[in-house]
Amino acid sequence: MVESEFEQYRGLFVAESRENHEVIVRNILILEGGDDPGAIDEIFRAAHTLKGASASMGFDTMEHLCHAMEDVFQAIRNREVEVTQELMDLLLRTVDLIEEMIDEIEEGGDSSSADVDELVDALKASGIPTGKKEDPSPQIQEILFSASAGESELPRYRIRIVVDDASQMKDVRALIAIGNLEQFGTIIRTHPPLADLEGDADTFDGTIIIEIESDAGGEALISAAEGSEITSVTIEEEGEDPDLPVYRILISVDEESAMRGLRACIAIERLEEMGTIISSDPPREAIEDGNFDSVFHLKIKTGSEPDALRRAALVPEIRSVEVIPEDAATPGTPVKKNATGPALDEKAPKKTETKNREIKNLRVDIQQLDRMMNLIEDLVINRGRLKQIAEKNRMKEMEEAIGMIDRSVSDLQILMMDIRMIPLNHIFNRLPRVVRDTAHYDGKEVEFVMYGGETELDRSVMDGLNDPLLHLIRNAVNHGIEHPEKRVAAGKPAKGLVHLSARRDRDNVIIELRDDGAGINVEKVKAKAIEKGILTQDQAEQLTKEEAINLLFHAGFSTADAITDISGRGVGLDVVKGAIESLKGTIRVTSHEGKGSTFELLLPPTMAIVEVMIVRLNNRRIAIPISAIVEVASMKRENIHRIGTQESILLRDEVLPLHMLEDMFGFSEETEILVVVQYDNKKSCIAVDLVEGQQEVVVKPLSSIIGVTRGISGITILGDGYVVPVLDVNTMV
Amino acid sequence: MGRILIVDDTMFMRTLLKNILFSGGHEIVGEAADGTEAVAKYQDLKPDLVTMDVVMPKMNGIEALKEIKKMDPGARVVMCTAVGQEQMVKLAIKSGARGYVVKPFQAPKVLDEVKNVLAS
Repeated sequence: MVESEFEQYRGLFVAESRENHEVIVRNILILEGGDDPGAIDEIFRAAHTLKGASASMGFDTMEHLCHAMEDVFQAIRNREVEVTQELMDLLLRTVDLIEEMIDEIEEGGDSSSADVDELVDALKASGIPTGKKEDPSPQIQEILFSASAGESELPRYRIRIVVDDASQMKDVRALIAIGNLEQFGTIIRTHPPLADLEGDADTFDGTIIIEIESDAGGEALISAAEGSEITSVTIEEEGEDPDLPVYRILISVDEESAMRGLRACIAIERLEEMGTIISSDPPREAIEDGNFDSVFHLKIKTGSEPDALRRAALVPEIRSVEVIPEDAATPGTPVKKNATGPALDEKAPKKTETKNREIKNLRVDIQQLDRMMNLIEDLVINRGRLKQIAEKNRMKEMEEAIGMIDRSVSDLQILMMDIRMIPLNHIFNRLPRVVRDTAHYDGKEVEFVMYGGETELDRSVMDGLNDPLLHLIRNAVNHGIEHPEKRVAAGKPAKGLVHLSARRDRDNVIIELRDDGAGINVEKVKAKAIEKGILTQDQAEQLTKEEAINLLFHAGFSTADAITDISGRGVGLDVVKGAIESLKGTIRVTSHEGKGSTFELLLPPTMAIVEVMIVRLNNRRIAIPISAIVEVASMKRENIHRIGTQESILLRDEVLPLHMLEDMFGFSEETEILVVVQYDNKKSCIAVDLVEGQQEVVVKPLSSIIGVTRGISGITILGDGYVVPVLDVNTMV
Repeated sequence: MGRILIVDDTMFMRTLLKNILFSGGHEIVGEAADGTEAVAKYQDLKPDLVTMDVVMPKMNGIEALKEIKKMDPGARVVMCTAVGQEQMVKLAIKSGARGYVVKPFQAPKVLDEVKNVLAS
């Protein structure tokens, strides 16, 4: 079914089908929210494209399903069926299956394993009037051609056109021929009449007779009438052209000729340049095929002299040409001509145009992009090495050259970052469906609003964001929004609001998810935490509201009383927090009881290249992300105090937790510098021996064999080849 | 052999067509993903022939065809259509399209159509 030549299109097919699938889902949800002609147009277009593409790839099962679906959308568009909840569910089930099929195709299958019969039947049964599959296009009501009877002096022709039986739209072929002929004269009438051809009924048998008045000559009319899928064109002239004489030409081809038909053709073509060939015997297509016994006859109307005609026809392997003048043209002799015969019209002069020829976009395999990124990272590392070598050996010239490389590498880096950025819509687009399904399951009414989907993020950040965001959205509907009756009782509209927005704020992308639900019950959270043994009653009482809310992110915490099918599969907000932090992001929640909650995610747009401060501790080098550093101060040992188990230090008026990092890097006698870091509005200090400098580095994640190491987010390789750990401030503070 | 502008809203179809036309020795001078772009590119590139999808966003193929015909009455436009769209194609022919091909595309048919329309 799917030939190997189609393999090259598979990736493209999958990518675009996914886009179209998303368009359909998104717009079905819009449609569900109310009447929207724009949405149904979008859906129809996407469904139509899916159908066409799957047909082109030979994925018959998918095409079958898409076709049935397209018909339903068509009926909706034509207002022939009503949009009901059941219909929406059916359509969503259909698009779900289509998504599965796309998955299967992506993995090399052809979608044929899917069972579509039930859905196709259901779609067909959903109230589609049969036999009405046309686009709702404006009816063609105007009369195509003026049929005023020809009283003019122009010669009149009867042209008989036969359309190939295999043609998929025979009537359209006939219309094309008529349209083309109209350029050359006035059409008097056609049989069958134009109205029949233009109408809906499929009654055309493939043969049309056209009467036309034209001074273009028979050959030009034949040329105009013929075209793709036209089997034959026959022309008869009615009346006569008084101006030009008619000649009968007898041509005899060398019997030895290997390609008699071809020779004859050339002769005919030469003659055609001199006049109008009215008829030929045997018919022209037979001549072209070589089906004649060495001699054939032509009748030509021309202003040229007989001698000129003879010379024109005397091409190689033509034995003799005899030109006999005729007194008058004898009407009624048909000229038959093969549809694929040469056409005579001069082509419009071609202009050469060079601008805008290039393709503006291309798709690139993401793995190639990743490899490229890795190569650039290596380049960054080796650039550092080169720099050091040049400095060590005081090679001025080399330093200059490296300066140039430096700039190129920096530009390359920035460019690469840009290329890797994709709009958040990639994951946002799926969310309306998630909200809908979750709300349906819970029996809630939710309006979902999204903003800022065009905000861009690095692909790797995007990958990591998908699951946590899904989780938060489900939570918002599941735990945030109340049931309609509860909302009404609380004086709120029955329909809850979930609001998702994204924006770029200098160095970060901020994603905010807000709901107008019940908000977080702080006392309930505390009680649950005590019950789970996360903290004691006393500790709970000392918590601020903010701290209490943050308990939600504690491992294993879940306030949902019942685990529903949709959210809360035993995965808590702690996993969400972990995922966001692994993206070098932060998550914050604020809540007002009775009014709703807001989750705010702060994410770096890209995570591969980070500016760090290189510090030394116990003769080892450590990198600390600049973004986390508030200040660097000198350390006074007398200001260190022990509060409980934690060492603290007094810095000006603040008492801040102090990390000596002995367990990580060993004890150092020489710590005299304090690096003050901040995370989530909490500051703490790291004691180090000295600050070496500041630079951009590529952070490589730790291998999965090592696993997650608390305090370390990854490693980086410095210019001199040293492998340096990058501190993860989030997990330390 | 002609200089051809391919108009279709999906890259998949454009690629498919491009390869077919390329195999027939034609030069693909441009691609457009909707009617508006098609009209703009036509003006820019003055191709010998346009393959025009019917169902597209922004401006559909029929509208684009009409616009192109307004600019250049001699424009050669071949409609790319699907079974079930006869009415649309008839409208297109009435509006000056010179030919049509039916999806799924068969390379010989596409090339034949293009050849014929180029010769017309």
